[in-house]
Amino acid sequence: MNLELISKKDLLDSTGISYGQLYRWKRKQLIPEEWFIRKSTFTGQETFFPKDLILARIDKIINMKDDLSLDQVAGKLSPSLPDYELRKSDLLKRNIVSPVTLHRFAVHDPENTVYSFELILYFYLIDQLLQAGDMSMEEGERLLETLKDHFPKFDGKSCELIFIRKMGVSSFALLSLPSQLFFEKGVKVVARLSMTECIEQLKGKLV
Amino acid sequence: MDKNPYSNLDINGVATASGGQYERVNIEGVGKVEGDVRAASFRLNGVATVRGNVETERLESNGKLKIEGRLSAGTSHMDGYTDVLGSLSGEHVTSKGLLQIRGDCELERFDAEGGFVIDGLLNAGFVNVQLYGRAKTREIGCESILVRKIAKSQWKEMLRKMFGKWAAGLEAGTIEGDDVDLEYTAASVVRGNRVTLGPGCRIGRVEYRTELKKHPAAQVGEERKTGDGSHFA
Repeated sequence: MNLELISKKDLLDSTGISYGQLYRWKRKQLIPEEWFIRKSTFTGQETFFPKDLILARIDKIINMKDDLSLDQVAGKLSPSLPDYELRKSDLLKRNIVSPVTLHRFAVHDPENTVYSFELILYFYLIDQLLQAGDMSMEEGERLLETLKDHFPKFDGKSCELIFIRKMGVSSFALLSLPSQLFFEKGVKVVARLSMTECIEQLKGKLV
Repeated sequence: MDKNPYSNLDINGVATASGGQYERVNIEGVGKVEGDVRAASFRLNGVATVRGNVETERLESNGKLKIEGRLSAGTSHMDGYTDVLGSLSGEHVTSKGLLQIRGDCELERFDAEGGFVIDGLLNAGFVNVQLYGRAKTREIGCESILVRKIAKSQWKEMLRKMFGKWAAGLEAGTIEGDDVDLEYTAASVVRGNRVTLGPGCRIGRVEYRTELKKHPAAQVGEERKTGDGSHFA
């Protein structure tokens, strides 16, 4: 899979923002460092961005900055996990995770168990994949294991979850961004989710 | 006086101290700090080396300061020679003399009198450079930048003695900003909204959105108007 790139100049022309704004947003960490991809072209070094990611991000910033200060926007967008905890019963009540998922994966926890943001994120992800019909319950258990084992290692850096299947055999992978990944023939990419985006979605639901 | 939970670090004369969290760091003379330092304020008169990162709200340095890690400072005044092996981040830096940053530099405002060398990207809201030495950086990205050459000063004489004779000037790979106003600058690419090029500029390619003002003595390889109305650019 190849990430489509957009050059800085095309980005500024198509979004109408200025160099100053772009650099200011970078300073405020509204745009992650790893999206700035330096490549040499025939005119010298140029900076490129992952097209879909940066366009969605700029759209978000422009929409939010009317109501919020840049620092507040930065807080909403940062990939770091907030200090946020929720009881199991509240997860159900607020419809963040469906009862089926919780029943399957957290059946042994009493109703008043308090979950950390990370764990809520894992349940949320599994719930999303299950509801989309992409994944079976057994695979969900393996995904939960994978996330518990490996997601904390990224330590706030943005990463992606890849879910592939070949000849009915499925597997999960977490990879740091930006990276390119190529598969052999016959591999079906069932889902490719940006963890950062999931965190943002979940933050939007919780707060 | 028990209001502050942390003690002060005072060095008078020649001494080595350990890093850590302090209320105030005050070095007069020759000091060395082993490890990371966090302090509300950091003052130096003389020569100091910090073998680690420095995090402070106010930095004031007179003399030679070497930081072998990252520097993050709210406001800094640096007179003399400052060498940071890591990156520099903060709100406002005023540098008189020579500033050397091996990593990236992220600031809201950067005022430099004299020379500087930044190996990475200089990203600042407002960049104000008064040249009388050689300034060099890979890349500048900012809201507005103003580069001027100062005719005469004592510092210039001293820098010339220290580093031999060279022409004062700014050298950069790319300079990008909304308002770009340059003098005595050599750059391969300058991109901006309003671009003004004064005497002594040697620019490979200029891309501008609204206007370009050019001094007759400025050399420009290629000029291009981009965006906003010219769809064929």
